[in-house]
Amino acid sequence: MIAAVSGRVDSVNATSFEQELSKAMEGGSSRLVVDCGELSYISSAGLRILLLAVKKTRAQGGGVALCQVQDHVREVLEVSGFTRIMTVRDTVEQAIDSF
Amino acid sequence: MDVTLGIDVGMDQHEPRRVVEVFERFVTANGVSDLVVQRFCLALDEILTNVISYGFEKVPEEPRIRVDFGLGDQVLEVRIEDNGRSFNPLADAPLPDFTLPVDERPIGGLGIHLAKNLVHDISYRRDKKRNCLTLTQPL
Repeated sequence: MIAAVSGRVDSVNATSFEQELSKAMEGGSSRLVVDCGELSYISSAGLRILLLAVKKTRAQGGGVALCQVQDHVREVLEVSGFTRIMTVRDTVEQAIDSF
Repeated sequence: MDVTLGIDVGMDQHEPRRVVEVFERFVTANGVSDLVVQRFCLALDEILTNVISYGFEKVPEEPRIRVDFGLGDQVLEVRIEDNGRSFNPLADAPLPDFTLPVDERPIGGLGIHLAKNLVHDISYRRDKKRNCLTLTQPL
């Protein structure tokens, strides 16, 4: 399943981000690709949702792969230790192929 | 400081975003680099979200939160003051354990870690029943 996220994800809209990701996973696929090409900002409230998605998909034998991550967001992922638990690739195709 | 701006912050979950937007306009208009702006925005967001969410639990005083931005030739400074319970994020926030397997990782606790690691220098003091946090970046 491929989901795209754009703009800012912070404590104001983290709940809708969570709902959108849950919707994307409803089909039963445990492999989630998140296209972050238009994501300009993510705070710990958004990271929390990504971690939940990783836990959920991993429990079903899948995982989360991010792609097209902007530099600042990538730095946040690295400082948070998230690059250890999810795959980060340059393109959507590479993210799909990572599974 | 050559240019300064102060804002009073309310006890509302939408306030960090408002303050971050004011800060962004303030520093961008004064030529601070994108990287520094983005790091400070996140630190400011995380610290304020923390203060608003937890800083006033069981505190009888009327909450007062104040943020002051200062920009000089060679330094950017952001001061965050609140009269909430004593909390030194540099010493009191637990360090996240990145060696834990995914299913054991706690869902929260990353905000303060991010702020501490993205800003050049953060200092804390408790003064007159207020938490005073200063974020500094040489330019």
